[in-house]
Amino acid sequence: MTAPPTGVGPEAGVREVLWRALRARPRHLARLLGWSFAEMAPSFLSGYAIAHALDDGFAARDPMTGLGWLLMLAGAWVAAAIGARQVLLSIAGIVEPFRDDLLTHIVTGALHGAATTGRGPDTAAVSRLNRQVELARDSFGAVIAVVRSFVFSVVGVVLGVLSLMGAALPLVLLPLVAGLALFLVSLPAMAVRQREAILAEERTASSLASMVEGLRDVAACGAEDGTAAVVGVAVDRQARATRGLARLTAVRTISLAVGGWLPILLVLAATPSLVRDGATAGVVLGTLTYVAQSLTPALGSLVQGVGVNGVRLMVALERILTTSAHRLPEPRERGAAPPGTLLRLRGVTFAYGPGADPVVDGLDLVVREGEHLAVVGPSGIGKSTMAALVAGLLRPAEGRVLIGGVPVEELDRAALCRTRVLIPQEAYVFRGTLGENLRYLADGASDADVEKAIDEVGMTALARRLGGCSAPVDPSELSSGERQLIALTRAYLSPARLVLLDEATCHLDPAAEARAEEAFARRDGTLIVIAHRLTSALRARRVLVMDGARAQAGTHDEMVDASPLYRDLMGRWDGAVTAAADS
Amino acid sequence: MSGTRTRGGQVTGSGPSPQTADGLLLQVLRRSGRWPAVYAVTALTGAVVELLLPGALGHAVDVLVKPGAEPGNALLVCAVLVATVVVCDAVAVLAAGSGGAQAARWLRRRVVGHVLAGGPAVSRRFPPGDLVTRAGSNAEEAGAAPEALITAMALLVPAFGSLIALALIDPWLAVAFSVGLAVIAVVLRAFLRETTAVSGGYQEAQSDLATRLIDALSGARTIAAAGTEELEAGRVLAPLPRLRAHGMALWRVNARAGVQAAIVVPLLEIAVLGVGGFRLAAGELTAGQLFAAARYAVLGAGIGAALGYLNRLGRARSAARRVQEVLHHPAVAYGTHELPAPDGSGGPHERTGGRAGRLEFRAVTVCVDGQPVLRDVDLVVPGGAAVAVVGRSGSGKSLLAAVAGRLADPDLGEVLLDGVPLSRLSRAALRAAVGYAFERPVLFGSTLGEAIAVGRSERAARAAAVAAAADPFIRKLPRAYDTAPDEAPMSGGERQRVGLARAFAHGGRLLVLDDATSSLDTVTEYQVARALTEELRDRTRLIVAHRATTAARADLVVWLDEGRVRGCGPHEVLWQDPGYRAVFQVAEPGAGHLVRA
Repeated sequence: MTAPPTGVGPEAGVREVLWRALRARPRHLARLLGWSFAEMAPSFLSGYAIAHALDDGFAARDPMTGLGWLLMLAGAWVAAAIGARQVLLSIAGIVEPFRDDLLTHIVTGALHGAATTGRGPDTAAVSRLNRQVELARDSFGAVIAVVRSFVFSVVGVVLGVLSLMGAALPLVLLPLVAGLALFLVSLPAMAVRQREAILAEERTASSLASMVEGLRDVAACGAEDGTAAVVGVAVDRQARATRGLARLTAVRTISLAVGGWLPILLVLAATPSLVRDGATAGVVLGTLTYVAQSLTPALGSLVQGVGVNGVRLMVALERILTTSAHRLPEPRERGAAPPGTLLRLRGVTFAYGPGADPVVDGLDLVVREGEHLAVVGPSGIGKSTMAALVAGLLRPAEGRVLIGGVPVEELDRAALCRTRVLIPQEAYVFRGTLGENLRYLADGASDADVEKAIDEVGMTALARRLGGCSAPVDPSELSSGERQLIALTRAYLSPARLVLLDEATCHLDPAAEARAEEAFARRDGTLIVIAHRLTSALRARRVLVMDGARAQAGTHDEMVDASPLYRDLMGRWDGAVTAAADS
Repeated sequence: MSGTRTRGGQVTGSGPSPQTADGLLLQVLRRSGRWPAVYAVTALTGAVVELLLPGALGHAVDVLVKPGAEPGNALLVCAVLVATVVVCDAVAVLAAGSGGAQAARWLRRRVVGHVLAGGPAVSRRFPPGDLVTRAGSNAEEAGAAPEALITAMALLVPAFGSLIALALIDPWLAVAFSVGLAVIAVVLRAFLRETTAVSGGYQEAQSDLATRLIDALSGARTIAAAGTEELEAGRVLAPLPRLRAHGMALWRVNARAGVQAAIVVPLLEIAVLGVGGFRLAAGELTAGQLFAAARYAVLGAGIGAALGYLNRLGRARSAARRVQEVLHHPAVAYGTHELPAPDGSGGPHERTGGRAGRLEFRAVTVCVDGQPVLRDVDLVVPGGAAVAVVGRSGSGKSLLAAVAGRLADPDLGEVLLDGVPLSRLSRAALRAAVGYAFERPVLFGSTLGEAIAVGRSERAARAAAVAAAADPFIRKLPRAYDTAPDEAPMSGGERQRVGLARAFAHGGRLLVLDDATSSLDTVTEYQVARALTEELRDRTRLIVAHRATTAARADLVVWLDEGRVRGCGPHEVLWQDPGYRAVFQVAEPGAGHLVRA
């Protein structure tokens, strides 16, 4: 299963995805075509059998012969029904793997996208994508079914009319081609309207949902009228889109009329001349049966199927391809790790957008191997951004980040992952055993290593309660603090010698936080702690204070002298800090 | 805007609320304009003509196959009938679509207006997802009621008419049709066991996959840092084989049903043709009549679809009932009073007394689901005071906050702001005076700037953002204040700060902070606390809090216990009471964080 290529426009991408889905299952495609012949039998046979039943049987006073023809037709219908079943299963054989491919694409896209931005789609977005996948699967199946059935019906009817009386063929075929051309001409406009209707419906639903969700806040701000107007716009747009669609659908019935009804009138009009050329009542009846029984319904389902399901399919696929478009992962060559973990930031500047203030502006910093640094500052000031820059997850706009003298962007991912470990605030624990979770960053860690890490970080009690390393864990049954303990132990086990804790202990109580931080301080290597509580700063050898205007580093005493913010915080919170440290 | 009228600053649903679902459907019918009438005429005409057409075609065949016949009247009749069918079809499609759109639009706007007029009480009664369904797809279904009724009739005409037409051509044909229908049904049931669709397993595998994906996405930063995307993709996609197996099972069930659908109509037609053939052989039927009979058999088999439409009518009625329930929820009635102007506004005020923002609870009792949650609360908050509301969870703190600014109404007693009962204030006056900040604020507006301003000036919004310590991080967002709230990557604490800014921009006299700083780190909380005690000190502040430090900073603490005011006074005084101290024990940093987050 390969993900569709990225960097292609959505429409070209959509076409390529569909084409590939068809080509990828040649066996099912062959089976589909094979059984389609069985399904086609009645549309070929119906007019012929009825003509002969009439002319050779009932009209010739030989009803048993007529009955024989009819029974043969019934048999053809039964065969066709069996064929229809096989056809549907063949379609399933194509669209089920197609669904799997889409899901694979979405999952890898969401994971890579989230890895790039640090954030993924939320729960609602995931379920929306899920619905789009189901929509794409169903409409793809429907489109394959109607197009195929139309093609085979036309072939059947053409052969049938030829077998009855070739002269009638143009009477049937010309209007059909004209009707089909009309339909194809109207299709792009139809697709636009259909797409508008689908999008308008989604917009109404989402604006209704956000209104309902924000009812309390809307009332609290007295914003009822404004909100009613905003939702009203979406509601009006949907009504307009639905009306526009209805108008075009009305026009579309004309192509059905031309392709489906005109042949009947033409055959009737030509009947006297056909009779002069030797046509019997049966032949006329048979031809009419072909048109009424096979051609008109097949054209109707084609128009409906392609006009509605085809557009649904395109919209759903475009949605899936754009929402989950992702950068392909970099090749994983195993490059050398940098010599040492001396960290040096030189004039590092980073902003989240062209119109945004830089989050980190000209930051210079040296963290020596084995050092313990705490980063202090109000949240949102750029501490996590700094951690991401150091970890090589973000690239600075200006300046360089060097680990062991090597710029981080020159390190390949594997080497980088062996060199540094970043534990964010939101601890990640997955459904698996505790051991799998702990060995996430250290495949080969021995049981003794794991035991030691558990003991050092202070999750012995938790490990016991969960039932040891072989016990399964369910993240939803763990508290945030417990998840953080697991993530901390995982980081402790990793081979990386540069540890970045980004508020990774914020859900622990102060005593547990102190124990974990001290374990990392004792561990061989460099420790950088983004502090949630100011007590973290007291434990560190050096403090980096980010106050929005600039970043300064020094020992606690130096910073009390140098940074007004730091002084203010420590003074104001001294009581609280001491109290928390005591508890 | 039609459907929602604004009178005295108050949104009301237009027109009286009908008492029953059918009453609502009647209103829908009236609001659909002339479209239902157009649809009824065209659909029924189309149905009748469709019924006449096979007969006319059959007759034309009989006339035209006679040697030397000229295509005359018979063909003309057919052409006119065909043209009528096509025109009726086209107009009916247009009328059904337009009428449904118009009705759904009217109904939706009405529901929206009513939900907004009902305020937060509506969402207390209906769960959010349910409310969206009622205003969304239920309104659509109810709007389609006229169409469903007319379509059902229009389908029943040819279905039953065909039976009559068969009987008129030859009674034996009608017998063949009826007996054939029964025999085919029995035979099919014997061959094809009823298989109930087992979609449960499919949905279960689907949601397993979604859960795994959401789990993994919650660890996006960890995964990015560890470079384990491929590993995670494998873990998330593990349920795929199960999904495929269940999916194929569903297709097989569908295929069975498909066989049934594909075979009934043709076999019925053949049965009728067979019997008709014998009658033709006996000279009782012409070839044209035989053709007509075959077409009628096909039309008559459409009876199932007609019954399906009646089913849709039933759905439209139950949808209308669900919409009706929302429309029946009472709207909040606002008064017309304004607040008295603050005395000597601008000048230096005394600590209490003459300052604006005096909040008074008089014997306030509020019930939730019939149970009193606040009982007989009497309380006076002096204008301009900072009041902390503390108490164990479930003691009624949030409800007290809601009643203080009329996000909920008391069942007994009243709440007054500067001497005016809140219920007598106009909506505009009330909302200009009271600002709310919540633990989890919901932001609306197309940009963050709008989400804070909500009707106030941009300058006021910026100043409020600075006071709420939101300005620095907003200016670092990709498009600063023009970033859309949905697209702004914000942590819980950042979102809280935007919510605080919005409250600061709005509450001219009273700020109600309902646990609105719970996700802030200590540094930021300090900054916000400083703004509350400095820049915002002219406003009355009602602060629902868990932390002792917040209570210690307030002028006055209201201690709630099981819905009653157990103590009211300065923090240091109340602190003497061990019961008061116990309130904060669960909220101590360590354990509290472990449990709450």
